[in-house]
Amino acid sequence: MDETVVLMALFRDITPVPDMLDRLRDHGVGEQNMVVLSGIPYPTRILGRPMVWERLPLISLSGALVGLLIGLFLNIGTPLLYPVHVGGQPLIPIPPTLVLTYELTMMGLIVSTFLGVLWESTFPSFGPKYHHPAIADGRIGIVFRCLHSREAEIRALLEENGAEEVMMPEERVL
Amino acid sequence: MSVEAAPLAWPQEEAPQEKLMLDPRPPEEMNEMVLNAMKKTGWRYWTVVGGLALLVLIGLVGAWGYQILEGMGVAGIRRPVYWGVYITNFVFWIGISHSGTFVSAILRVFRAEFRRPFTRAAELMTSFALVVAGMYPLIHLGRTWRFYWMIPYPNQRQLWPNFHSPLEWDMLAIFTYLVGSTIYLYLPLIPDLAMARDRSTGWRRRLYRLLALGWRGTEAEWHHLKTAINIFAFAIIPVMFSVHTIVAWDFGMTMTPGWHSSIFGPYFVVGAIFSGVSAVVMVLVIVRKAMKLDYFLRPEHFDALGKIVLVFSFAWTYFFFADYLTEWYGGEAVSRELLTLQAHGPVAPLWYLMLITNIVIPWLTLWNRRVRTSPRLMFFITFSINVGMYIERYIIVAGNLTRNRLPFDWGVYNPSLVEILISIGSLSTFILLYALATRLLPLIPVWEVQEGQFAHSLRRIGRSLVPSITELD
Repeated sequence: MDETVVLMALFRDITPVPDMLDRLRDHGVGEQNMVVLSGIPYPTRILGRPMVWERLPLISLSGALVGLLIGLFLNIGTPLLYPVHVGGQPLIPIPPTLVLTYELTMMGLIVSTFLGVLWESTFPSFGPKYHHPAIADGRIGIVFRCLHSREAEIRALLEENGAEEVMMPEERVL
Repeated sequence: MSVEAAPLAWPQEEAPQEKLMLDPRPPEEMNEMVLNAMKKTGWRYWTVVGGLALLVLIGLVGAWGYQILEGMGVAGIRRPVYWGVYITNFVFWIGISHSGTFVSAILRVFRAEFRRPFTRAAELMTSFALVVAGMYPLIHLGRTWRFYWMIPYPNQRQLWPNFHSPLEWDMLAIFTYLVGSTIYLYLPLIPDLAMARDRSTGWRRRLYRLLALGWRGTEAEWHHLKTAINIFAFAIIPVMFSVHTIVAWDFGMTMTPGWHSSIFGPYFVVGAIFSGVSAVVMVLVIVRKAMKLDYFLRPEHFDALGKIVLVFSFAWTYFFFADYLTEWYGGEAVSRELLTLQAHGPVAPLWYLMLITNIVIPWLTLWNRRVRTSPRLMFFITFSINVGMYIERYIIVAGNLTRNRLPFDWGVYNPSLVEILISIGSLSTFILLYALATRLLPLIPVWEVQEGQFAHSLRRIGRSLVPSITELD
């Protein structure tokens, strides 16, 4: 079985990157074996990459629902557990319940969105990863794994098509 | 007769390179500019930090500690004025906290491009202003250590707090807003923290490494981050509105003359945005000068913020007049007494000063583009607005309580030295936290600026070059 090698190609401009991703696919690099690193967000449709499956809105809504339930418990449950009669108001007054339940629902949404983005991005994750400081300097990096036997061919292809540098990246502790 | 064709022209008065979005520099240069600004701390900076730390010690450790030991008697609040400077400060700082969310979230939702370089400076203000605002209910409580009674947990005696009390609304709203705005500050910061991590050594690298959470800038990371920022931008706006509305309801829910008003919710929100955006301008002028961020913070940004301030000055005036007219026309004896107090009584100098700073000065100056694009003038105008907004809160809180329906129970209020020192201490806390943060966190969201510059270009239409924005999302 042929060995594989990890390469990183750095581009100064985004224009050739989607084409290069297509060429890498043509050279047998699977979608799961390549990743694009950039200093600013490029939507997947610009890169021609498959849509990232996004569960964040669902997580946020679930958090909002949990917040709503906690709000209802505190607003309805606590007066039932220990009745505090406020002059002129029923034991469970609806208008203040709406205010407080709203705040707790939003709290649930906010906290769950934060936890969701950490979960989805597998943060925090400081272990060794392929990275290059030039990414924040505007370079666009394609990190991919290819067959060792095709390395020279792919390197030449990338260099001919605008890659500033093609290297074997180090795994860096972030 | 021949007509000479006009040369290809930029349609505005200024050249395109005067616009940040149309004046890109290499990303590495921008990164360096932001990092260098963070790392420079001269003797002036440390003198200011030292002075502020001293004021915090005097105000919050000394004066507040003295009040805790001696009791609330050392404060100037007396019957009938039970809410004084502490609650005024609380309302004022909650107002300032609206700056970050308004500038960042609302302008993000509406894709206002000029927001890009100063969203973080505004978001930082929100978090620190909320920290300061959150101290005041504790200070005002007197027996600060009893604060936990507000938290609904089943204690030994099975005594639950009255969860429907407006005090609970306040606590929950402020806490929700503090959590939300801090996360909203943190999320867009992650890519810039990673940039700082890759260019730092020593303790800074360790700090940024921890805070950057292992960010690399993969498509998936960007996608999740952008989605989260979008959700937050939409979620934080109603929370922002609810916070100051609930603070207004603290007053509106009472039967106290001058407070019991259904207009107070939106009136307070508009006032909060008015003073908050003004405070953003003040901070931007200072950091631009102190940190030499002229490249990022340009006259165009002060111009845009000046327009927002002017619009909110109109809106504030509208609400102020609507509230005033209702009280005046109603003609209730106590309302008439309150209005007389403001127009001719001891409060009058403050009341007229408020009208000058909140209406006359902005209306006479901010319509002029030359004024709006001058950072120095903008600083003085927005500073005066914040003085006016503080006075407004003082009159509403302490001024209105001096008169009530029982003339034998009328009184006066003079803040004590303890109250003044605590107020100075809390203001110093805000400035100190901000000053420290400017040297620890990238104050300019570099990736957002670079993203904006990538999306902007000049497009030729006929004989004119016009700025064009590409929708990337």
